[in-house]
Amino acid sequence: MQIDYKLQDKFDFSLWLSAIILICIGLAAIYSSTLNNSAASENFDKQLIWAVISIIVFFVAYSLPVNSFKMISIPSYLLSLFLLAVVVVIGRRVYGAKSWINLGVFGFQPSEFAKIGTILALASFLSRRNTNIESFFDIIMGLIIGFIPVALILMEPDMGTALVFIVLILTMIFWKGISLFGLFVVLSPGFVALSSLFGTYYLFGALIIVLAALFFFKKDIFFSGSILALNIGAGFFTDYVYKALSPHQQRRIQSFIDPSADPLGAGYNAIQAKVAIGSGGLFGKGFLHGNQTQLQFIPEQWTDFIFCVVGEEFGFLGAIIVMVLFLIIFLRIFRIASIAKDEFLSLTLMGILSVFIIHFIINIGMTTGIMPVIGIPLPFVSYGGSSLLVNMFMLGIVGNIYRTRKNFL
Amino acid sequence: MKSENFASERRKTIVYAFIVGCTLLLTFRLFQMQIIQHNTYDEKSADNSIKSIEQIPLRGVLFDRNGEVVVNNIPAYTLRITPAYYDTKLNKILETVLNVEPGYINKILYNNRVFSKYVPIRIKRGVDFKVVSWYEENSEDLPGVDYIVEMQRGYPDGIMGSHMFGYTKEVTPQQLKKDDYYKPGDYVGYSGIEKQYEDYLRGKKGYKFMLVDSKRKEIGKYKNGADDVPSEKGDDLVLSIDADVQRVAEEELKGKRGAAVAIEPKTGEVLALVSAPDYDLNEFSYVTSRDYLQKLYDDPDKPFFNRATMSTKPPGSTFKILASIAALDLGVIDTSTTFYCPGYFTFGRVFKCDGVHGRLNVEHAIEKSCNVFFYNLIYKIGLDRWANYAKRFGFTQETGIDIGEEIPGFIPDSKYYEKLYGTNWPRSIMASLGIGQGEVSVTPVQLAKFAALVANDGQSYTPHIVKGYLENVSKKFIPFKFKKIDVGISKRVFNIVKRGMFLVVNGAGTAAGIRMKEIQIAGKTGTAQNPHGKDHALFIAFAPYKNPKIALAVVVENVGFGATYAAPIAQKMIEAYLLKDKIKKENVVPDLKTKIIGASIAN
Repeated sequence: MQIDYKLQDKFDFSLWLSAIILICIGLAAIYSSTLNNSAASENFDKQLIWAVISIIVFFVAYSLPVNSFKMISIPSYLLSLFLLAVVVVIGRRVYGAKSWINLGVFGFQPSEFAKIGTILALASFLSRRNTNIESFFDIIMGLIIGFIPVALILMEPDMGTALVFIVLILTMIFWKGISLFGLFVVLSPGFVALSSLFGTYYLFGALIIVLAALFFFKKDIFFSGSILALNIGAGFFTDYVYKALSPHQQRRIQSFIDPSADPLGAGYNAIQAKVAIGSGGLFGKGFLHGNQTQLQFIPEQWTDFIFCVVGEEFGFLGAIIVMVLFLIIFLRIFRIASIAKDEFLSLTLMGILSVFIIHFIINIGMTTGIMPVIGIPLPFVSYGGSSLLVNMFMLGIVGNIYRTRKNFL
Repeated sequence: MKSENFASERRKTIVYAFIVGCTLLLTFRLFQMQIIQHNTYDEKSADNSIKSIEQIPLRGVLFDRNGEVVVNNIPAYTLRITPAYYDTKLNKILETVLNVEPGYINKILYNNRVFSKYVPIRIKRGVDFKVVSWYEENSEDLPGVDYIVEMQRGYPDGIMGSHMFGYTKEVTPQQLKKDDYYKPGDYVGYSGIEKQYEDYLRGKKGYKFMLVDSKRKEIGKYKNGADDVPSEKGDDLVLSIDADVQRVAEEELKGKRGAAVAIEPKTGEVLALVSAPDYDLNEFSYVTSRDYLQKLYDDPDKPFFNRATMSTKPPGSTFKILASIAALDLGVIDTSTTFYCPGYFTFGRVFKCDGVHGRLNVEHAIEKSCNVFFYNLIYKIGLDRWANYAKRFGFTQETGIDIGEEIPGFIPDSKYYEKLYGTNWPRSIMASLGIGQGEVSVTPVQLAKFAALVANDGQSYTPHIVKGYLENVSKKFIPFKFKKIDVGISKRVFNIVKRGMFLVVNGAGTAAGIRMKEIQIAGKTGTAQNPHGKDHALFIAFAPYKNPKIALAVVVENVGFGATYAAPIAQKMIEAYLLKDKIKKENVVPDLKTKIIGASIAN
């Protein structure tokens, strides 16, 4: 075993530093957006404390023995399910969804912690010696492991976070090596479900496409029939779930399908977010000088719409810096996942990567008006203790795997 | 069994392409928004957070001919409610304090429900100071309630001028459509000078820019007010009115029905214009109480009716002047022509005279107001020639006085009678016209204009109340131009008639009672027969006899003789105008301009 004692070889500076810079940009943006809001004046201080705690947590995760992650995978998964169940029963209602457990001063979001548990458990299951990703039974098992937390999160209901989980599950089974047909079996119900939101015609259109695809794959009639039945079930179930959703979530879906439907509701935020970013221009309006931000045009801007502050006050240049920092983080994690020789660790890295990426795409996408307003935060930048803590813990796992990458050679 | 596909190169490429692709896509989107469409979003952002608030300018002030302020602006209190902070439980107590009917506040709030809850809504304008001090004491318990100071019209000089000045009123939907200067809730000149000279008086609106939050709540000034446009006060108008003459006329006509109009003969400038009964313009400064309006509408004397320009009455004996001028100008008589008055006149039927005057010429006929002389005269002149002279003096059309509402008088001619009775209409009808009775009817302002034309030998200008305006910035006086009137009758004719009018007051005439030592007044009494009650008293006059400075007409309805009721009012007005100069010369009178400037600064 060859050991390099150079620090760079043990510690991924570019990864860590990118995250730290993002946290600092986030702190500046939170400071700016809460300056004129007396109700949120403590947010900066709180986030500063969380930032310090998170950095400590990063180093804890960084320094743990690397095999401990596999060891904690099942317990952490079960704990996650327990907490998610608790939150559904007794959780605190925030913005129309129960997703918090109140622990004294700081609220606590189990769905954030469930990300770690689910990633580790799924990675653990998929990397078992006898797991065959081509086997229908194993795919279903993997999906069950992944979708129990999804179901619990949907019951809160928190659609955004549920979407993050779906993406991380798909990413991990994709990375594991699912075949094109397997992917079709997994994805088609989702496709049908999404189509059903646009109306009955779209639902039937989607089902016809699924039928055509089944002919293309030429599997046996019983198997194809089961898959079609699954798709039909998914479509009508979604329709049923949509009707059971809380009005504010229905509105959010509707306002994406037809933004003019509710100009002062969810659509209003999307418009104001675009105006904030667009009016920032090349250099931005200057720190604390963005009128959209300072005039509190977007409610709760420090959470999901924090990127507007960056776009408005620091302009295109500031936004580009954020994009570059995220790209560095993504590519570093991807690189480490690519070279990791242990399947469990590689899958874990891809799970973490998928969480960061989907948050990034949806968050920036919704603030720039090319995605529906799905309330999920921008990693490292948005205000929120649980999220920052979990993200830094996950980044610590990445750092840990980098540190120990040569152990498996 | 391990999948062959785990983390295959192909899958790595897909993931890598996805990461880079998505980041590039979002970066391009940012470039599109922040660089390409930057201007569009920048404008939206500016619109979003800046609200322009109209600054209503002060209306122009009205000065009289001597620089006295007769109409100005005084502060008034307006109570407002900001619905976002207001609790409708307070309705009851507020309605009690404001002395309005229950439900009043809810009605106004409902009418304004389309506006943001953070926009204050005017609940009542012109509230009493007592209400304001009550509010000051209890403001802590009245969330969402406040008051602002707005300007309303004030009448500091103690003269009413109700029909002349007119009043302002909230703009109507029709006016809103016609002129985009106005916004709902604006006040606009509704009658009199306020209406006629609205474009001068209203000024230019200003704009204040406020920063607002996403709920349109004001949170501060935009650029600290650097871009604000202050409102520009309307132009001040200089009236030809003499406040003293106006005041005297108003006082003299108090409790009567009638009108008095005084004109400066050389210029056509109106020195006073009164219609009685009048109404209190102060009640119209803001919202007029329904009770007061109802009272005015119910009043049988119709205070809203501008008698000076809208009421037509037979001119009575004052029209003997017109007949005299016509006859002299046509040459059908001269000063040596005499008629014998036996106390009656026969033409188909018997017409009575007020006395037995014997033989007299035109001057004495005017002096004594002998009906028989003028019965004879009208037949000598002929109906249509007589009507033509009436037309030349403007009795068939409006005088064009600049306060809007006006109607012309009526002068009958042969066509009229033919239409009524056929070609063989009874010629006896004509007799009454010679003494200004019968179908002939004129307005007081027409009579005053007539008096002015006589006084100035047939030349004057369109009667007008506003001389010009003070240009707002330079304070330069800019006069308006008015049409010259010339009836084209020789001075000789007028001298004869004026001599007769001089004798009316200073000889053994009908108005000898108003003779004065200081001023030589010339005039003509008139008593218009009224089939419905007591006769109307009329008097036209000018003074001084030589070089007249004031000409006037006074009409008092249903009182009796002109000499008894109308002439003394005319005398008081003349006195107020002509003797004031003497009195004021002894004191130091500040010149017109400094007085005007001082007054406008005070406002």
